[in-house]
Amino acid sequence: MPDSPERCYELEIPAKAQYVSLARLLASSIARSMSFPEEDVDDLKVAVSEMCTNAIVHSGNGTAEKPPILVRYCAGRDYLRVQVSDRGPGFDIGCVLNRERTDLLEKGRGIPLIQCLVDEFQCDSQPGSGTVVTVVKYLRPRECQP
Amino acid sequence: MAEKERAGSGLEVNVEDLGDISLISLVGEVDVYTAPMLKDAINSLVERGRYHIVVDLGKVIFLDSTGLGVLVGGLKKVKSNQGELGIICNQERILRVFRITGLTKVFPVYRSREELPTKEREKQDAG
Repeated sequence: MPDSPERCYELEIPAKAQYVSLARLLASSIARSMSFPEEDVDDLKVAVSEMCTNAIVHSGNGTAEKPPILVRYCAGRDYLRVQVSDRGPGFDIGCVLNRERTDLLEKGRGIPLIQCLVDEFQCDSQPGSGTVVTVVKYLRPRECQP
Repeated sequence: MAEKERAGSGLEVNVEDLGDISLISLVGEVDVYTAPMLKDAINSLVERGRYHIVVDLGKVIFLDSTGLGVLVGGLKKVKSNQGELGIICNQERILRVFRITGLTKVFPVYRSREELPTKEREKQDAG
């Protein structure tokens, strides 16, 4: 992950679907203020949406009252880092990252999509604890190879 | 026949029948909050026996994997009834998500309504 100095902003949202657009909006506002190209702003919006959606869907240990989701945006000189933390049950990230997709119609597009849209992706999660997903997008052109 | 559904949710869904094809036009954002509206529209069509569906994404400003999942679910349903589900889209920002996930190989993609199969377009023009 990149070094400081950086400016960070935090957004805490209820673990409810209607708040995902708010996390996207803040990501796009910060990225535009940093002069990211509009295509990269779009990529960040999708990535943040996927991260927050995963956090909401998997948060709360199945209880009705889910704990909130924390979204942290850190703007550096040439990058934007976004971190989404939930207090859900966690999962074995290896099962997701190492799974070979053989059927385009099966579920599980979210994380591969995030990985393709950002420059760095990190997921810290273990069964029984929360999950922290961090992505970094740099202020320079970079072609994605699907 | 046209049905319009609007909610304070960031997505407007309009459904109309164009001959054999049912066209679902979307305006706004398709995400985890609004995707159920699209799912309901597709399910309603399938329940009415409408298995040839085109979803117009021309005025969609955002779509993520939740929206893709709903479209894939719809595709599976119509395919099991010998139908088809295609999309209309000429926006790179939306097509990029389809391309990365490989779904441009799965859905018929039309760049505009004018590219819909000729027989159906004639019906649309006549209507």
